Amino acid sequence: MKSKILALLGGTLLSASAMAGGYQVNLASQRQIGMGHTGTGIVAGTSSIFFNPGAMSFLRENGVTIGASAIVSKIAYRSTEFTSATANTDNPIGTPFEVYAVYGITEKLKAGLGVYTPFGSTVNWGDEWNGRFGLTQLSLEAAFIQPTLSYQISDKVGVGAGLVIATGGVNLQRQLPLQGPDGTEPGVELDGGANTGFGFNAGIYFQPTEAFSIGIDYRSRIDLQVEGGEVSFSDLPSSASALFQPGTEFSAELPLPSTLTVGVGYRPNDRVTLAVDVSRVGWSAYEKLRFDYTKPVGGRLFSENARNYDDAYIYRIGGEYKSSDALTLRAGVYYDTTPVNNGYLTPETPDANALGLSAGLTYHLSDDFSVDASFLYVNKEERTDPANLSGGVAGTFKSVAYIPGIGLNYKF
Amino acid sequence: MKKYIYKVSVLALFGSVLFTSCEPEVDYEVNPSAGEELDFSNYVAVGNSLTAGFQDGGLYLEGQLYSYPAILADQFEEVGGGEFVQPLFTAAQRNGSGYLRLAALPTPTSPVTERVTDNLAVRTDVPPLPGGPRLTKFTQPVNNLAVPGMSVLSSYSTQYGAINPYFERLLPDAEVGTKSYLQRVAEADPTFFTLWLGNNDILTYATNGAVADPANPLSDKTPVVSFKTIYSLLVNELTDGGEVEGVIANIPDVTAVPFFNTVTLAAIRQGAGAPDLKVYIKVGPAPSDVRELTADDLVLLSAKANIGRPDQVQTPNGPVVIPHGFNPANPLNDNEVLDKDEVVEVKNHTKLLNDAIAEIAAANNIPVFDVNAFFNSIKGGFKIDEVTYSPAFISGNLFSLDGIHLTPRGYAIIANEFIRVANEYYNASIPTVDVTQYRTVVFPNNN
Repeated sequence: MKSKILALLGGTLLSASAMAGGYQVNLASQRQIGMGHTGTGIVAGTSSIFFNPGAMSFLRENGVTIGASAIVSKIAYRSTEFTSATANTDNPIGTPFEVYAVYGITEKLKAGLGVYTPFGSTVNWGDEWNGRFGLTQLSLEAAFIQPTLSYQISDKVGVGAGLVIATGGVNLQRQLPLQGPDGTEPGVELDGGANTGFGFNAGIYFQPTEAFSIGIDYRSRIDLQVEGGEVSFSDLPSSASALFQPGTEFSAELPLPSTLTVGVGYRPNDRVTLAVDVSRVGWSAYEKLRFDYTKPVGGRLFSENARNYDDAYIYRIGGEYKSSDALTLRAGVYYDTTPVNNGYLTPETPDANALGLSAGLTYHLSDDFSVDASFLYVNKEERTDPANLSGGVAGTFKSVAYIPGIGLNYKF
Repeated sequence: MKKYIYKVSVLALFGSVLFTSCEPEVDYEVNPSAGEELDFSNYVAVGNSLTAGFQDGGLYLEGQLYSYPAILADQFEEVGGGEFVQPLFTAAQRNGSGYLRLAALPTPTSPVTERVTDNLAVRTDVPPLPGGPRLTKFTQPVNNLAVPGMSVLSSYSTQYGAINPYFERLLPDAEVGTKSYLQRVAEADPTFFTLWLGNNDILTYATNGAVADPANPLSDKTPVVSFKTIYSLLVNELTDGGEVEGVIANIPDVTAVPFFNTVTLAAIRQGAGAPDLKVYIKVGPAPSDVRELTADDLVLLSAKANIGRPDQVQTPNGPVVIPHGFNPANPLNDNEVLDKDEVVEVKNHTKLLNDAIAEIAAANNIPVFDVNAFFNSIKGGFKIDEVTYSPAFISGNLFSLDGIHLTPRGYAIIANEFIRVANEYYNASIPTVDVTQYRTVVFPNNN
């Protein structure tokens, strides 16, 4: 099933770069990206399916939204101490996307369907840097499909919940620490699709006055499990075939952590909306990364490295200004604290506390049709880590990302 | 409307192209510096096989090119280092003395090695020396003075040049058998030195299963008093009475190298497919000095091929075929095993020699790279850049196929440790190397 869904969604569309804490990708709505990716304490259009299903019941029209971002991310690296070794990633452009549709069954009961990509990571370090035996390339993909119902209990309160069906896959490549007669280093590639996982997204929205609103949303943890993934070796000297045997398969499990968000909205007048969100991401679920193999790889039936992430908090603030009936302008900022403890940095996600600055706009081409555009700049703090507890690559990492995005809305 | 979407798309595309050019940079700068005290214009390395780049049971061009002094000299070049000359073999004679290469690895624990015998630097026009066939000479001045087989004791002997072919090749014919290594070192006149000598003052004895040849004083443990006296002379020559700086390395614990810790009782049992197999060793001269091998006895890597060999043994009932080591009537020989008492003896003597090194270094204000502590600290393995290193044979990545000498990667790691010691003691900022640029054991393409 997972591969069919992936094919349906168009495989390449799924890749996203790790530009939030860990491998979470918070790019769920072009409109909300413009507001610093707030949206739990306000009615965020069709993307309330993601931000707060409770607010979905407050939508006045049926609508469909599609959108996508282009993540241009770059990471610079310098080895520890006085080594002159440096590296820069050559990441492909990540393209997380979202599709939301909301339909009013009755005035108070709304049904919705969301498809979005809340986790992923694409990083390409190349096969020459000093960390190549840990990682040359990683592509982690996850797509969530979320059928949702939302009910407006009263003028002031709405509740909603959706079933989350998660699918995805992982492709990890690295060099093996041995060499053939001409100095060639063999490579190993782990490739596998995940079993379908299930979770939920539930929220409550409370709007006591015209000006003021508050929302709480909880997205549950889902474990991405790969079984029977393929382990393939390239450029392997034949004399090493006893150490690395063909036909080896792997299994692994990766937690996609829960996220609890409390959001507040404030509308001082008809033109202005302000929103603040605070999220707690349950990264403490990510204790280790373990690969089990069906045949020994380099003499071992498994590899395990500690991660021991901490829960992380994200603080967001954003605003929206209706400049005219046709044009709405937005801006926002967020601070994303890293879940990665000192000593645990890895080249898969060389994470650090990050500052995000965003801007966006919506232009109404007609009553029914509008275009969203957003731009997000993410700057992670430079971080030096001995990586002695994660089995990672010691050194200093610095990441930035430039993320333009575009979305289309249609109301009916 | 289409036009508008097009415009926005173009804008987005333009934006992403624009920002593609904005590369992040790691801010902190590395400023290589030799510090106030160090002068690398004439770096001289003094030592034995480990300093010569010896590996895989031989000295050959590739090993010389990746010797730790050569790696150090490359790094010193960034902080004012001068030319560093090594007695390299030519490309035509690149295989030098010949060496072991991995031929096959039928199972992860049963490597098959073979000796490389072409393109050697072995001379056939002259008779061999007691220490082996002579090698093509290199008598120009060199910075890497390392001589495989050299010990502190032999460095004092003027005859040693007529015994050891690696020393002989560095000496003009007139000096062979008349000039000692100590005298050769005294001529070097360094501005900076590394000294890693003394291993063979105990290792030669240990690698022979703690059996010394009565006819050869160099095969025994060097007496501490002689060691101290000669070592002081060496350091005195190199420091020029306190004028010249350097780094001194001490003697590693023999039990930390694969030559002694690969052929364990468990490994023999696993190799024979018999978990309860008893192995017998000879521990003394009397016929009754035979006992069972324990986990604390170290069977030498060089004895591995002999284990289980079907020997004709004379018994009261006539000759019987008995596998070597598997019966009290055909135990492993004394020189095939460093038994647990000998391990203690070797360790204790190593400690005495290292104490002497520490004392002499301190008296001359020269820092010591404690190789002994370093190798003991990594017995359980360690990781650099997600590669696991350990004293395990082949899979440990540090040690070459002879189980005693290092791989180029291992030598690079040693070079970085030398640099760390120098940086700390002399307040310098000599850059370390990216060790992943140096190879480990080479796996061939054949079956």
